Order: sequence, then structure tokens, then C-alpha cells
Amino acid sequence: MNTCTDCKFYLPVDVFKGICKLSKKEILPDDSICDKAEKVAKCKFCSQYTAEKDYLGNCMSTTLAYPDMNAAKCADFEWIRQN
Amino acid sequence: MDSSAESINYYGHKPAEQVEDREKKLKPTERADRARELYFSARSSTSMEFPYWYTRRWDELDGEIPVIRRAESLKAGFEHLTPVIYPGELLAMGKASYLRGSYPMPWLSEAFFMASEDKMYKEALESGKLTADIFTTVGKGGGNVTKSVGSVISIAGKFGLRVEEMPVMLEVAKKWKNRSVDDVGHKYEQMVPAYKEKEAIMRSVICMFDSGYTLPQGREVMNYYYPLQYGIDGIIRICEDAMNEVAGFPEMDRLYFYKAVITMLQGIRSWIRNYAEEASFLASIEKEEKQKAEYLDMASRLQHISSDPPRNFHDALQMLWIFHVAVLNEDAISGLSPGRVGQVLYPFWKRDVDRGLIDRETTIELLECMRIKFTEIDCFASMGVVGGVLSGNTFNNLAIGGLKKDGTSAANELEMLILETGISCETPQPTLSVLYDEKSPEEFLLKGIECTKAGAGYPAWVNNQVAMEFLLNNYGHEGMQLEEARAWAIGGCLESSPGSWMPLNLDGEIHWIPGGSAPATSVGVHFISLPKILETVIFDGMDMRTGERIFPSHGYTLETYEELWQGFKDYFSRAVYVLTLTNNIQHDAWRKISPSLVNSMLKPDCLEKGRDIGQLGARYNTTFNVESCGNTTLVNSLASLKKNVYDDKNFSLDVYRKAILENFGYHTAQETGSYSLIDQKPAGHYSEYRKIHRQSLDAPKFGNDDPYVDALFKQWEDWFCEMTHNYRSLYDQPMYACQISVSTHGPMGAVTLASPDGRLSGTTFSDGSVSAYPGTDKNGPYALFSSATCWNHSQSQNSQLNMKIHPSVVRGREGSRKFLELIRAYMRKGGFHVQFNIVDSRMLKQAQADPDKFRSLLVRVAGFTQYWVELGKQIQDEVIARTEYEEL
Repeated sequence: MNTCTDCKFYLPVDVFKGICKLSKKEILPDDSICDKAEKVAKCKFCSQYTAEKDYLGNCMSTTLAYPDMNAAKCADFEWIRQN
Repeated sequence: MDSSAESINYYGHKPAEQVEDREKKLKPTERADRARELYFSARSSTSMEFPYWYTRRWDELDGEIPVIRRAESLKAGFEHLTPVIYPGELLAMGKASYLRGSYPMPWLSEAFFMASEDKMYKEALESGKLTADIFTTVGKGGGNVTKSVGSVISIAGKFGLRVEEMPVMLEVAKKWKNRSVDDVGHKYEQMVPAYKEKEAIMRSVICMFDSGYTLPQGREVMNYYYPLQYGIDGIIRICEDAMNEVAGFPEMDRLYFYKAVITMLQGIRSWIRNYAEEASFLASIEKEEKQKAEYLDMASRLQHISSDPPRNFHDALQMLWIFHVAVLNEDAISGLSPGRVGQVLYPFWKRDVDRGLIDRETTIELLECMRIKFTEIDCFASMGVVGGVLSGNTFNNLAIGGLKKDGTSAANELEMLILETGISCETPQPTLSVLYDEKSPEEFLLKGIECTKAGAGYPAWVNNQVAMEFLLNNYGHEGMQLEEARAWAIGGCLESSPGSWMPLNLDGEIHWIPGGSAPATSVGVHFISLPKILETVIFDGMDMRTGERIFPSHGYTLETYEELWQGFKDYFSRAVYVLTLTNNIQHDAWRKISPSLVNSMLKPDCLEKGRDIGQLGARYNTTFNVESCGNTTLVNSLASLKKNVYDDKNFSLDVYRKAILENFGYHTAQETGSYSLIDQKPAGHYSEYRKIHRQSLDAPKFGNDDPYVDALFKQWEDWFCEMTHNYRSLYDQPMYACQISVSTHGPMGAVTLASPDGRLSGTTFSDGSVSAYPGTDKNGPYALFSSATCWNHSQSQNSQLNMKIHPSVVRGREGSRKFLELIRAYMRKGGFHVQFNIVDSRMLKQAQADPDKFRSLLVRVAGFTQYWVELGKQIQDEVIARTEYEEL
């Protein structure tokens, strides 16, 4: 997790910018995260996801998936365990 | 006066030196102002969440009954949408997880958004599907993402997509290859014997775009009765009861339909609850007490209406909005009109007022929030569709006025506030239409005038009685009676759409509320370019721009005007014939692969019959039409040929052919970079064609109460409106005439050579359907009205008259009265529709030169209002060139 777009407090306005739900300030998706950032559920943070090539992968070894999809509402989402 | 004023067409005197602003200025509430500022900063953005989950679920259910598969896919899409709630919102939810969010629907069509080097795109290009895209200009400002920048890719010159979603978009699109409505329809439309002619027609842009897979729904009026009355759980119970009654009995499709509706509603319920959960989360991190309370209130409201009927006006408005968006999420749709919202919600509002639960200020704030939400709607479609037809607009038309079920005036206090917020919070959506009736109260009409004078281009003024006559003529054989004809409203920009009265029961009291009762009323044959058809007649079936043969030789010598007219009728009829057949096949593919479920559930009598709208579930189904473009340019051209070639014999037709090919000695519009006739520049050989061009321009022109040309106009209208009934829709109903240009007169003009009326190559056609060609209406508005009403407008689904009036002409109370009398005069003559730009044309010139200073400037185009900066140059030039009335 490096950028604001991976944070659960990122509110997207459009493809160029968003609003921080905490500070209410405009931020960019590629801005570096701050110390209040919390990871949002995305496929790339899910243990069911396997990356294959740039921006593409698969879910549960069977289904097409992509790393930056928000997975907060996915019933199969499981956080990757941190070692 | 600056030099640019010289290139503007004036009727009457020229305006004072100072560029004049519009009269009425009201400010929106602080909340709406902040929301609108956020909107102004937001770009059109697309994402893959919904299509990803839709496709994933679709593929999991191979072999399932199609309507169930569709419902499960929609459910998967809805329940996985990431909720986004913006600070200060009183109404939540939207199409996708951006403020101006939208997404591709590859199950309809996948080719146009593929990268241009992709094979699928090339195939689409060869079949003529994308030719209109090439000749379309999209607005370069505002919220359009016109170029790829950094991590953002531009699609169709309008939509931005994050680069990390591009690979999955292509992968998902490829999954629909040979399975989308577009591909399946294309496979079978080729079985129409005249299919090759259809391809040639599309490549020549005689027709602007296909119907069945581009915007298969819309141009219709929503019906919110069922969710308002029963709530989601109530509708599910209705479906469960119905399933018990039909399971195992003949007409088994009813069982699957009810099951599909339940599944789809479960998806919508999850979607709403996800938003409720997000509102609660936002409340948990919110420090500001008022905002925190609003989030909690929102969470409570959403949780309640995810199951149950609304308790109050705010609930009802939120519910209405949710189902509006839900329909927009099942198909690519433009022109999904909310209809007579002020009458649908009046019982809730009045009850709240009587109970002291809501006041004027709160109502205005909510209605302004509603305006912002409707303005956020975007429709993801190809450049030709979104730019060339829609100008980025989505045509959510809100109608006010008209009559109640019992024949008395339906105008009410809530509609007065809707007009008020149309002034205070100027936004393109929802556009407003006054259903003018002689019974409409004067106070209501004057409020409408006040709003029109504010200059945002709405309300349009529409003749209630003319529309009812059309509807009774068209739907009478399906059982429509006078009482039900009164329930109509405008669907889309200007499509008369049938409605019905539904019994809303509040606290035991029945309120008859209007709502739409038909599927899309403007599908079928989309936008036939009349001047281009005439061009092919003159050149014996050839498109001389490309050198391609479009139609077989007509075989006429064209030695008489009657032969010319017959040739036109032959080619036009041929185009309608071919396009009707191919579009019927496309729509059949649509109803089989991608049947409507959300809209079907809402429309009477689908739930009662157990059928979706593609299976004639709706109450009224005579809904396919034939659309024209460039009426006045056609008739002016016919008048010029009749006068100069056949009656006065000033020139031979061969001389005209040469002059047309040589563009009367001018550079083309593409060369000059302007699409308005008045800005064109002579080339070196201009003097060779000066005489014929002059006499073409001087030939009789429509809009001046001149019987010579008006008789030709009437002849065209009478024939056109009648001939459409000879063609049968997919639903085996006669078709009807629809006469709106939307924005098609720009790109269609761009591919049409000079026309015999003196219009030059590449310049736009006349707008609307009964508007005069810019600068040619020289006898004042009442002469224009006489010309426009030389035929019976109730023969057609609509007619469209656009006028531009200088603000000084209607200034003050006296100006308002004069303005209302002007409109009234047109309505009394039988005119169906008139709309106005109240603007100093020099301001538009300034805005074109310096768009950043005019981000919020709104103009009326043809059935819709749009931000000036989001219009393509073709349409901007045309609006500037329209005749500006300096006196009435």
C-alpha cells in the first residue's frame, strides 16, 4: 500500500482526483499515503488473487480479475496474511 | 460593436453596443452551490466494477434460462458497486463510483471502445457503424476527458478510464465478442436481402446510428408507482405470490420473469444497504455535528427504503432517484425522463407540509440537490452517439403542468418550486417542459416564463392537446382513452410518451399519480438525413463525397419537379424499409440477450402480465418510430430546385450538379474550421458560381409565411407522417414519425455536400424540425409560426421549433406578458413545441473564444440544455448562427 487510492478513506471524485474522507481535502489517487491511512479491500490485497501480468490476474485460480478492483463487497475476499 | 457581431443573423434592429446578460439571477442554496462547484471540477469517468461482475456472473451461469441469467448478472453488478457519498449530499447514490461515473456495457456493444488498432474496431468501421464518429466533434471543455493524460486514458473523446483498468476492460470486452447484442444482431441482420444497402447507408451517414444495441432504452417516461406504493419487499412479495400462481401452468415465461425480478431487486436492495453502511461509516469518522447527523439520517433513510415504502417526501424523492439510476444501470440509455415528478411526489410533500414536517426552504434545498444528481448522469456510448447525437446530454426531462385524470389543471405548488429551483440552480438536468394547456393557471405559466427568461433554455413549451391527439391516434387501438391520454409526458428531449394513472394510497386516501406506461418510444429508424437523401437523388443514387453507390439508379430523368419528388420518396422509402428490417433484428437480439428487468418491473402492466417490456408486457407498445433530420434544409432545397430549375428555368440540373460538387466556389467547412454558413470563405473560382449561389440563397425560404415553400413543407410532412405507418415494428405495430434533430444536424451536415438552397458543404443543417434555417426567417416570429403550423402537428410524435431571443426583448413584467402571449399564439395555432435561447449572441462568441470564463454558461440546443463548453464546435457554430430576434 503506497498511494491514496489504496486507502479506505479515499473518496474518488473522478479518474484524476478524490477527497480524503478524514481531512476533506482534495487528493490525487497517486499521492503518497499519510500516517492515518488504512488499507482498503482490493483484489491485490486478497489471498485469493494471483497476479499474472500488468494489471491482470486471476481469482481463485479460475476467474479473470484485476488488482485494483475494490473488493469490499466481495464475499470471497480474504486479506493476505502478513508474515 | 465588435466585428464578430457582423457575423450574427439579426431579425429587427441590432442590439445595443454592450453585450447584454440575462435578466433573472437567483443564487442556489449554499449546499447546492458547493455540490455544483464539485460537479464543475469533476470529469466524466468510467470504471469496470459493474461490467466485471456482470460478466463474471454471466459466465458462471452458462445454460441458465436467459432472463434468470440476466437478472443474476445485474444483481452481481449492483451488489458489488462501491458506494460513494460526497460531503453535503442529501440524496445519495449514483451510477458508478465516481461523481460523473458511468461504465461500458459490453453485453450491448463492445467494439467501439476497443483500441483503434483492434480487429473488432476495424470490423465495425468497415460495416459503417462508426462512420458518424469520424465526423463528430465533441466539446473540448468542461468535464470531457478529450485526451489521454498520464494514468488516464480517454475513450470516445469524453470518458476517462484509469490505466490500471484498461487491460480488464479489453479482456471483458473480448468475452462478449460474438455474444453481445451488437454482434448477434449483426450476424442476423445480414440475412436481410438488402443488408448491403444498409451498410452503404450507414457509411454515407444517411442514417446516424443503429438502434438496438446503442441506446436500446430511453426516450420514455419512468413510472415510480410500485416502489413508492409497495417498497422493495412489497414488490418481492407480489412476485412471490404470482410465482405460486403460475408455476407449472402454460406461459411458463411468467414464472421466470417473476423470479428474475425478485433476483434483480435483491441486488438493488444490497446496493442500497451498502450505501447505508457507507453513510454510517462516514458518520463514525465525522467530527462536524451537523454533517454527522446528516450521514446518520441518510443511513437510516436508505436502510428503511431498502425494504419498505417511503415515509415522507425526502424518502420518496430518494426512492425515486434510486430507481431512476437503477434503470440507467441496466442498459445504455439516454432520455430516461422522470416525467411529472411534481405530481407524483405531491401527495408526500403536501402531507409533510400539512404536518409541519417540511417548509419551503427545505423543499428548495432538496429539489436543488435533485437537480445536481440528475446532472451527474453520464451515458457511456460511442463518440458518434454521445457527441454527434447527445452532445453529452442524457435528456432527463421533467414535465410540469398538463391535466389531471379528471381533466382539470394538474399544475401545483410543488411544481412552482421546481420552476424556482430551475432558476436558482441552473443545471442541464433535469430539463423542464411545460405541458401547456389552456386550463393552465396564469400564475403557473408566468412562473414558467420567469424560468425561460433566466436563460438556461428550459422550460420548453409543449402543447398538451396536440400531444394527446397524437397519442389517442397512435395508441387508441391498444385501448387508450381520453382520460389516460392526459397522463402523458415528454420522454427524452421531445418524444410524446404514453402514460397511465396509478392509485397511490397514502393513509387510506387515493391519489392518482401519472407515470410512463410504454417502453422506449424512440427506437427503430434513427435519424435519416433528408438533405443527404436528396443529394443521392440528384446524383442518381451515388454518394459523391465518397464515390460509393448507395441506392440503385432511380431511373428518372428528373426533367420535372414531380420526378425529383418521386425520386426522393423512392429513396427515402427504401432507406426506411431497409433500416426497419435490420433494426427490428437488432431489437430482437436485445430483448433475447439483454431483456429489461428494472424498467419492466416499474412499467404497468408488466408485473400484472408476468412479461417484460420486450415481450409486450407494457400497457402500450406502438413505440417504434422513424426520425428525420434536416427538414428545413430539405424543403428549402426542394423550393430552390423547383424555382430555379423547373419553374423559372434559370439553371439546368446539370449546372446545379456542378455547382454542388464545386461547393458554389467556396472552401469547405472542414477547411475553414467553422460549420456555420455565415463564416464560410470563397475560393478562387467563386465568381463562376456567384450567380447560381445568389439565386439559390434568394429562393423562397421556409419560415416567412411564404405559400410557395410552405406548400412543399406541408407536402413533405403529410407524406412522411403517413408513410411511416406502412412499416411494422418488431412488435408488429405501425411506426410513426419523429421529428427532432438533437445534435445530428452537425455531423450529418458535415458529410453532406452543398445543398441546392445555397447551404455550403460540411455546414450544419437547419436545427429542430420546424426551425427556420439560420438567418433566413426575415418576416418576424409570427410569420415563422404560420410556416411552422402549415401542417397538422398531431400527425407526428413531435415537431421542434428553436428560437433565439435577445434578453432585452423580454425584459421586465411587460416583457414577460409579451413573451407568454407569443408562446400562447404559437400553441393556439397548433404548434407542438417551442423552446428559446434568451441570450446575446455576442456572448456566445465570447464564450467560444474564451471558454474558461464561461464554465457555467448554459444554452438550449434542440430539446436539451447543455453547458456551452461541453458542446462540439459544429453545434456551437450553429447556435451562434441562429436568427436572433431583437423584436417580437
